[in-house]
Amino acid sequence: MLKILVCVKQVPDVDQMRMDPATGNLIRAGVPAILNPLDANALSAAVKVKETYGGEITLITMGPPAAEAVLRECLAVGADKAILVTDRAFGNADTLATSYSIVSAANTQDKYDLIFCGKETLDGATGQMGSQLAERFNAAQVTSASLIKEIDLEKGKLIVERELETGIETLEVSMPCLFTMEKTNYPVRIPSLKGKLAAKKAPVVTITSQDIPGLDKQRIGDPGSPTKVPRMFPPVMPEPGVILDEGGLDATVSKLLELIKE
Amino acid sequence: MDKKNYKDMWVYIEHDGAQVHPVSFELCCETRKLCDKSGDKLVAVVAGDLPESELEKIKDCGVDKLILVSGTGYERYNTEAYTNLFTVLCQKYKASAVMVGGTTNGRDFAPRFAARLETGCTSDATELIYNPETSDIEFVEPAAGGKIMAVITIPVLRPQVGTIRPGTFKHIPVGKKAKVEVIKEEISFPVENIRTKLMGFKADAFDPELDIAGSEVIVCVGAGLKDEESLGRYRELAKLLGGKLACTRPLVDRELLPYKLQVGQSGVMIKPKLYIGFGVSGAVNHVTGIEAGKFIAVNKDPDAPIFNYCDYGIVGDMNEVCDEMIAQLKA
Repeated sequence: MLKILVCVKQVPDVDQMRMDPATGNLIRAGVPAILNPLDANALSAAVKVKETYGGEITLITMGPPAAEAVLRECLAVGADKAILVTDRAFGNADTLATSYSIVSAANTQDKYDLIFCGKETLDGATGQMGSQLAERFNAAQVTSASLIKEIDLEKGKLIVERELETGIETLEVSMPCLFTMEKTNYPVRIPSLKGKLAAKKAPVVTITSQDIPGLDKQRIGDPGSPTKVPRMFPPVMPEPGVILDEGGLDATVSKLLELIKE
Repeated sequence: MDKKNYKDMWVYIEHDGAQVHPVSFELCCETRKLCDKSGDKLVAVVAGDLPESELEKIKDCGVDKLILVSGTGYERYNTEAYTNLFTVLCQKYKASAVMVGGTTNGRDFAPRFAARLETGCTSDATELIYNPETSDIEFVEPAAGGKIMAVITIPVLRPQVGTIRPGTFKHIPVGKKAKVEVIKEEISFPVENIRTKLMGFKADAFDPELDIAGSEVIVCVGAGLKDEESLGRYRELAKLLGGKLACTRPLVDRELLPYKLQVGQSGVMIKPKLYIGFGVSGAVNHVTGIEAGKFIAVNKDPDAPIFNYCDYGIVGDMNEVCDEMIAQLKA
């Protein structure tokens, strides 16, 4: 049976974040936490594979206990079970420490044939996690994959498509393999009522740093993160442009068109 | 790790066997400036065959050293051989930094060799600063969807790995150094250990509607767009002005328009004569992708950052302004 792992993340909806014009700080209060949008497409790809070839889908996320919400959301569209990696010791991690933590936790549960990730997250947006997870799973990787065309279960091989800047590659790849998915062929699935009910009862395993034998505490959280953020600042803004207001919409637009034609 | 033992800044030269990818030249030119401040040597790393004329263009960017790698595994891009290559080379030469063009392939292997070396990797910096006090590179990049800028450093470990998007920096060659050292390395990666096999490649058909990079007029719609039904008028306006419709990331996320129409750092870089943004907030990631002759912004929020980037702006309802523009252009 195909063992499929789908990596998801709960992220703040950055599109709803505002900057405090007085302090230059981001206002985080009241910003909803959502399932990272591209992770929903990765999940769709995994569910499609399961529908076609059979298999079992496990979800994994790392975050605060509240991140269970996104796991339940994903369980409702066809995942079977979930792993919640949560511990303050995992906090403030960059991609290097996060990939080590997630793979260490996943390895306590099972071995996976296929691993699916979203192409990047809305908040960090590094797009690095897939490659770094693949490295630590010692798996092949196809980033920017757009289509899982065929799976040969006996040979343990897949035919997949990958989106490049100039066209589409067709690749044969061997399992275990990690994919970061483009959204092209995998629209987000809407949970059915039955799915929602099943999601409530589906098992979610919580894993803390204490639950992982041999975990190197120096490689997780802040101590395990080589990248640091010494400072943040508001974007340097140029001086505002000329705001046109000629009293009425027609006059203002007329002025604008004159300026465009200059 | 004593970072003082790690010297030189490297640029990975991405190429297709005939031509160097422009981003590699851009990174050579920008990293040259860092090296001038830090005293490091600028090293370009080329794997596989490349014509002498292209090597000359690399040298013109002021590189001090070329590492030319031969061996098996580099005929076409693959994760395994390139990850192995940079792991082996960085261990041997102790590079202080490795810059990789943020193409699909560059973004594929750079984080992986960084993980294998257990070092830090940054992505999508829009500015690189050398800090002489710490001897670290400061990677300045937009964060939280471009609402704030973050300075990222790798203060303890080496190499400092960064992927940087094409078009972020300029290819302005400073000229060839009097002496360019050329090192030849043979590092073969066993072809049977490459876990992906290329079965075919289909080049994208050219669709003029999607060719926003070459358009002189861009009508760009942003997150302020209410619904799909509102889109038609912007297409019409683009057509009346002889231009193309483009968009910002939230509209691609909402699946209203294809990714190829996304303007900005993680989408398409554009250089139109005229840009008109409707309902575009002005996130850094978006505006860094625009070099416009004339920049117009229409937004109902008078505090939207987009008004800081525009030449002329109108505070108002985007649909109403668009409709009025269409009406007057048709009159």
